[in-house]
Amino acid sequence: MLKSTHKAVAPPPLAEGWTEHKAPTGHSYYYNAATKQSTYTRPVAPPAPVTAPPPPTNPNESFLQYKGVGSLPSAGPTFNNDGSQGQFQGGRGGFQGRGGRGGHDRPRDSRPQPTDKPKTRHPIPGCEPWVLVHTKLGRRFVYNTEKDQSFWRIPDKLKDGILALDQQRIKEKAEALSKAKEPVDSGEAPGAAQRPGQAAAAEKTVEEGEAAEDSSEYEEVEVTDDEEDEENPAKRQRTEEPGQEEPIEFNEDDIAFQLAAMGQEYGLDPGEYGDDNMEEWEEGAEGLEMTAEDSAALFKDLLNDFGVNPYSPWEKLVEEGKLVDDLRYTALPTMKARKETWEEWTRERIKVLKEQRAREEKKDPRIPFLAFLQKNATPKLYWPEFKRKYKKESEMRDSAMTDKEREKFYRDHINRLKLPQSTLKSDLSTLLKAQPLSTLNNATLPSHLPPAVLADIRYISLDPSTRDPLVEGYISTLAPPPESADEGESEEAVKERKDRERRQKALEDRERHVAEEKRKQKKSLEFGKGKLREEEAEIARAMNITKKGLKDHLMDLDDAGKPS
Amino acid sequence: MPAIRHASKRKAPPAGFTDIEDDLLIFSNKMKDAENETTVNVPRHQAHWKIFQISHQRSRYVYELYYDKEAISKQLYEWLLKNGYADAMLIAKWKKTGYEKLCCLRCVQTKETNFNSTCICRVPKAQMKEDQAIECVSCGCRGCASSD
Ligand SMILES: [Zn+2]
Ligand SMILES: [Zn+2]
Repeated sequence: MLKSTHKAVAPPPLAEGWTEHKAPTGHSYYYNAATKQSTYTRPVAPPAPVTAPPPPTNPNESFLQYKGVGSLPSAGPTFNNDGSQGQFQGGRGGFQGRGGRGGHDRPRDSRPQPTDKPKTRHPIPGCEPWVLVHTKLGRRFVYNTEKDQSFWRIPDKLKDGILALDQQRIKEKAEALSKAKEPVDSGEAPGAAQRPGQAAAAEKTVEEGEAAEDSSEYEEVEVTDDEEDEENPAKRQRTEEPGQEEPIEFNEDDIAFQLAAMGQEYGLDPGEYGDDNMEEWEEGAEGLEMTAEDSAALFKDLLNDFGVNPYSPWEKLVEEGKLVDDLRYTALPTMKARKETWEEWTRERIKVLKEQRAREEKKDPRIPFLAFLQKNATPKLYWPEFKRKYKKESEMRDSAMTDKEREKFYRDHINRLKLPQSTLKSDLSTLLKAQPLSTLNNATLPSHLPPAVLADIRYISLDPSTRDPLVEGYISTLAPPPESADEGESEEAVKERKDRERRQKALEDRERHVAEEKRKQKKSLEFGKGKLREEEAEIARAMNITKKGLKDHLMDLDDAGKPS
Repeated sequence: MPAIRHASKRKAPPAGFTDIEDDLLIFSNKMKDAENETTVNVPRHQAHWKIFQISHQRSRYVYELYYDKEAISKQLYEWLLKNGYADAMLIAKWKKTGYEKLCCLRCVQTKETNFNSTCICRVPKAQMKEDQAIECVSCGCRGCASSD
């Protein structure tokens, strides 16, 4: 049937009521079922009669519908393609009987003639004087408002604009759907189409002659389309505009869903793509509770752990940027909060240090200095040499000790190193025994000996490898410490430690949760994006069909030969 | 600013100096860098901004240690002033109402300005026209009114 339209391409449209047939000789003849007339002379649709039906109908009927009808599956083969029948009919029609009977009795008018009307009209973006007119039956044509011309065949130059228009319309529709659940007819004043109709008529008359070549194309494109229309008006109406993309099972609900999603510009809401997801989401967000104190305490923990000097200016801390990588840095939300917390911390810390120092007033600088001596002093060096060598060491510069004191210690220590080990051992023993049980007892850690021991020169005379076992042995013989207030403090320390662990855990929990949420969000975003890509591809495919897909479709049919 | 003579060559600093020694050294180094930095490509009036700023920061540092945090002893504080680690005159201003944030002494000296008034940076932000960004000529201050 399509072939037939191909062949019938060139000639201008037949006048109303006439059908074309082939005589066995190969000639075409024409038959009017209503008047029962046949003729070899092609009855061309007169320009005038066009006015009778509503204008938009005219282009349809005279151009496409008419021809289309002729090539309808039911009629087409009989007329044009079916060999035997055609022959026979042709034979009959072979004579040109005016008033003679037609070769067949397939009355054209027995078919229900759909009456079509323009329904909507849209300016085609980027192709200004042109508008796209949709008819009631879902067909469409273009109309040049300036030249008052309309074409069923969409000129190539307009195709891109129409494509854009289609996409936009689909989008709008989808948005409207998703918003209000009320289908929006992208309609405009139906009256607008009155003109294109007339224009179409005008065009017909004007172009009748020249249409020859063009018509092949428009038939190719539009006839097929129309055939489907007429065959399946219901289907056609159901799917409406996107129905043109029918071949890929793409219904309006899909579009609505897809485009609603697309409309969100990929800023997808979590939970949008899966309810279970959303549940977890909300549940998770509620799970963590971290107080402001916790946050501040975490930040202070951080300051403590990094050994931040509480005397240093804030700017230094910021410039160094050492803390930034630590998770606890994020416990506080703003720099202002951090600075405030830092200030608080410095005050606390400085206070603690001051108290500690006051307590250790006696813990003279001798302790670190003696330890330093034990490590570095050697009989090979005289004091001035030693002093020069280590002048940069903090133990040698501590302002709490004078150089004279240091010199005296150095000399004494060097002299003691020359004494026999046994003397040194008994000296150490004497020293340890002199300590009261409150400071030195079986709970004393060898690493935390009382200052009185550490600050004594006798403590450093022996090499640690011999000294430490002696000290440990002595400690193990001692009685437990007398009852003291120390225990309360340690309890406090335990509490503090537990608090700290709890805070840390809370922060980690929160962080884990945030990470989890991010992961989920990302996942759902990916999911949504993937989905949208699919949808876009589908829409693109669908759009493609309107442009060239029908051609393919047509060729497919062609290839398939003559369907019966 | 006066040169800081090395501690070993003079009377040892009071106790607590070691707590802040490192940070003071950092300030000194910054100051040295600023002093040695070329100002060839810098507008003439901006040449001293950096030095003013570091001096301000260091004075502020000492001031806060002593008055806000009570982290250093009176002796140490006085020693620091005496040895040029902080600007006693500027700190004296900070103790006065309305001058708590003063950037530098120049900005409150009316005699040096064209209009016999203090520097623009002394004008509270609330009185400025909306979002008018300023940088005072003498020290680059962007506003040091107490209400800012
Ligand atoms: Zn200022
Ligand atoms: Zn200033």
